[in-house]
Amino acid sequence: MVLRIRLARFGNKHSPFYNIVVAQARSARGAKPLEVIGTFNPVPKRPTNLYEENANARPYKEIALDRSRAKYWLGVGAQPSDPVWKLLSMAGLVEKKPATYEKA
Amino acid sequence: MRNRASTSLAKGKIRQSWSKYNLYNLQRFRTPATANRTFFQQKWTAKALSRAYHGEQVREGQWKRMFSKRIRSVIPMSTSDLAADDGSKTSAGRGSGLEKRGRDSVTARLTPYTQMAFAPLERRLDVAIFRSLFASSTRQARQFVIHGAVTVNGHKMRHPSYLLNPGDLFQVDPERVMFATGAPKTKFERRETRQLKQKEEETEGETEQAKSEGAEAKEDKVENAKDTLKALMAQAKTIMSKDKDVLPAKRKQELRGFQKAVRRVLSRSETSTVLTDNLESQFSELTLLLKAKRAEKKPKESKKDKKDSTEETAVAEESEGASDKLSEAFKSAAEGGEVDTSELSDEEFDVLKRALTQMRDNPIDNTKSYATPWRPRDYMSAFSFIPRYLEVNQNICAAVYLRHPVARPGSAEVPTPFGEAVSTPAYGWYLKRRW
Amino acid sequence: MAPRIQSRRVSNALLPYLTSSPSSSSISSIPSLSPSSQCLARQFSATAAPQTKLRRTMFEWLNNEGAALKHHMPGQTNYLRNPRDSNEGGGNRPFPNNPNFISENILSEELRNEIYERVVEKKKSVRAVSVQLGIDMKRIAAVVRLVELERRQRAQGKPLALPYARAVHEMVPTTPLAQDGERQQFHEPINDLPAHPTTGPQIFYPVPESRSFTRVDAGRVFSGAPALEREVAEKITHPSDLAEKAIENPNSIDWVGKGENARQVLQPADVRIPHPQLVKLELDRAAFPEERRKVAQLHAERMERQEKVETERRERAQSRREKSIKHVEPEGGRFDYRFSDAVFTAETTGKDGRAPWAPGRRYGVPTNDRKRGVVKIPTRVEA
Repeated sequence: MVLRIRLARFGNKHSPFYNIVVAQARSARGAKPLEVIGTFNPVPKRPTNLYEENANARPYKEIALDRSRAKYWLGVGAQPSDPVWKLLSMAGLVEKKPATYEKA
Repeated sequence: MRNRASTSLAKGKIRQSWSKYNLYNLQRFRTPATANRTFFQQKWTAKALSRAYHGEQVREGQWKRMFSKRIRSVIPMSTSDLAADDGSKTSAGRGSGLEKRGRDSVTARLTPYTQMAFAPLERRLDVAIFRSLFASSTRQARQFVIHGAVTVNGHKMRHPSYLLNPGDLFQVDPERVMFATGAPKTKFERRETRQLKQKEEETEGETEQAKSEGAEAKEDKVENAKDTLKALMAQAKTIMSKDKDVLPAKRKQELRGFQKAVRRVLSRSETSTVLTDNLESQFSELTLLLKAKRAEKKPKESKKDKKDSTEETAVAEESEGASDKLSEAFKSAAEGGEVDTSELSDEEFDVLKRALTQMRDNPIDNTKSYATPWRPRDYMSAFSFIPRYLEVNQNICAAVYLRHPVARPGSAEVPTPFGEAVSTPAYGWYLKRRW
Repeated sequence: MAPRIQSRRVSNALLPYLTSSPSSSSISSIPSLSPSSQCLARQFSATAAPQTKLRRTMFEWLNNEGAALKHHMPGQTNYLRNPRDSNEGGGNRPFPNNPNFISENILSEELRNEIYERVVEKKKSVRAVSVQLGIDMKRIAAVVRLVELERRQRAQGKPLALPYARAVHEMVPTTPLAQDGERQQFHEPINDLPAHPTTGPQIFYPVPESRSFTRVDAGRVFSGAPALEREVAEKITHPSDLAEKAIENPNSIDWVGKGENARQVLQPADVRIPHPQLVKLELDRAAFPEERRKVAQLHAERMERQEKVETERRERAQSRREKSIKHVEPEGGRFDYRFSDAVFTAETTGKDGRAPWAPGRRYGVPTNDRKRGVVKIPTRVEA
């Protein structure tokens, strides 16, 4: 059986919210995972115009991640799904995957 | 939610509103008599009266969930008293101090706790907007929130029932505030706006055919200064012709002088190109000039100060003569040339400066939804107060909710038109759970 | 930017461009037509005007007694008068039936700018400015925020409500900025002690008359803590000693109770007021009545010490917050990403992983977000 690190969707209609979970590859999205190691809010937050330093700030997305658990699960061979790979590579835990146009 | 907040004269309920009906109701309100009424009846009446004012837009069940019997209060401490006694003096003897101090019994004022019964409602965003004088009623404030004209901490907030937290900064669109608090347009002004709109639509159609919108816009800017002056004069004229019966004679004279000045400027400007400059830059130059002149004149002023009080009446009479000189100065100012201010007296300086500042800040603009130049709506002053738990900046129409309202000896921060004879039974009503 | 003119005599009433001063208030005396006379003027109407008696009396009142309320007098309040009060002048009670509500002063434009200048440009501490001007510290912080926002909006050329602001400052009582040489009028009491809920019920607590029972002891009784040991109690000469200790080390405050009932011991008023250092100042004054310079120096030293401690603590917290969040700005993307550290262990998620405080959305727990009585709108907005 393959272990995957993947996203599990929560939140309501039109307001997605994801748990970053470690689960068996063939288990259902909503099923109870082996472990939750983080959360990902894909709805970007916009910095307000109330402060000077926010003048050129870009909207941002929030991620909470337990780094030590993520490292452990990667070490025992859990395979991140593509979206999680992207997040983990930004966190500096895995190499960046080359984009399809770079491969060709 | 259906609006049941009619300010009917028959019922005479007091609402959170600045309408004249409400003012009249407020004026004739008398505390209900308690003789021959059961305690239940007294509480029922008190509850009905105070709920008509406090959170009339909030459903009863919602308010009952918000109600809290705990009342926040503060005691202003005197540091010298704290330093003089570490508490052992007051607790000496049998627990109330060895010597009786007469001073305390006289100055001790009661804290009106029950006046704070509706304090949780003051946290609501719509109520806070009304309390900051940004809307003429809570219903209107509620509409502003729903229509997306309000931000909280820089984010748009569309829930009027959002409960503000201490430190929250809320801001209302200044245009809406000016509309809410300004005098409404008259019938004639509304018609003019309509006509202006129609004209604009026609010209727009033409420009679309020519497809030269960009060029048109630029020309508009150049003509802008002239147009403003023209509009000013037209407005003065209409005020003169329409409100003839209402205007006092003095104001009519002033208006006439003003019109004259503008007309002269306009007639000159057709030959000279000075006026096509931005009014703004002219204004800043002029104020600089005035400041310089002012500084020169200062030593004289101190002498004049004593006379001022006697002069004031005289100046009012002189205003006709003064307005001639003023209009000269105004004219030269608008042309962007040097202002010969030496002839003007100090009072006239002030008037000229004021006129120019106000003209810049408060222009006549038919496209606005309120009567221009802006003036406060009738009876606004009778309702205008800002409670201490809000810090308001009127220029940008923003306010900070500093803390929750509190009671202190002698006063309560929740604005309520009712005395303790009403608020105490109302508080009593909600203390008992009936649901 | 031209300076705003702040004059008592400027009014917005009617066409304002060339109005001069007090005459502007004369509008209130304009004889406006009463509705009854309007009815008479309608000569060709056969039906009587639909005026009820109530409406008629209302307009009568508005045209007679109420006429003075229609327009404001610059620099004066214009509230409904209680008929029983005979004193003249604006008064500061907007509701005639409620003597407990007072229309309080607001900060004038100059005072606001002065606060901003002192805090932002002269780099004075909020606490010091608060004591100098007699303004609550929260208000000073708010004013700095608002003035900064105003300056930025002016720079950006956003629409402002200047005539409205001028009118409001004419209607509402204001605290002016003191001219040179004058004493600054204090805006509000700055040492307000919030009434703590545990002090609500009265407690019968017998104490031997020979023992001195201070505010420190009273606080312990109210919070149900055992009395201080004699050695510890003897070290405290005055309750304000605790204030200094609490500022330098907030963890020095004792706790009582266990588990979820654990709470801090109620501190004496000397600690809980916003400006505890002023009590020490008074004590110094009493100790050295003739040496004003020495007292001032002691106070300045104490202030400096405490401020240093506070700023250090603030900076430490700030750096910790910044450290825990990692900013990633991918090239070519539209968004930034902010990674914060989370810990998913048995302590943070509970034994079954379903504890209500566990991070992330949980499994096997009903979401009550649509239940009756649950707040469904945002409860706070991040600035």
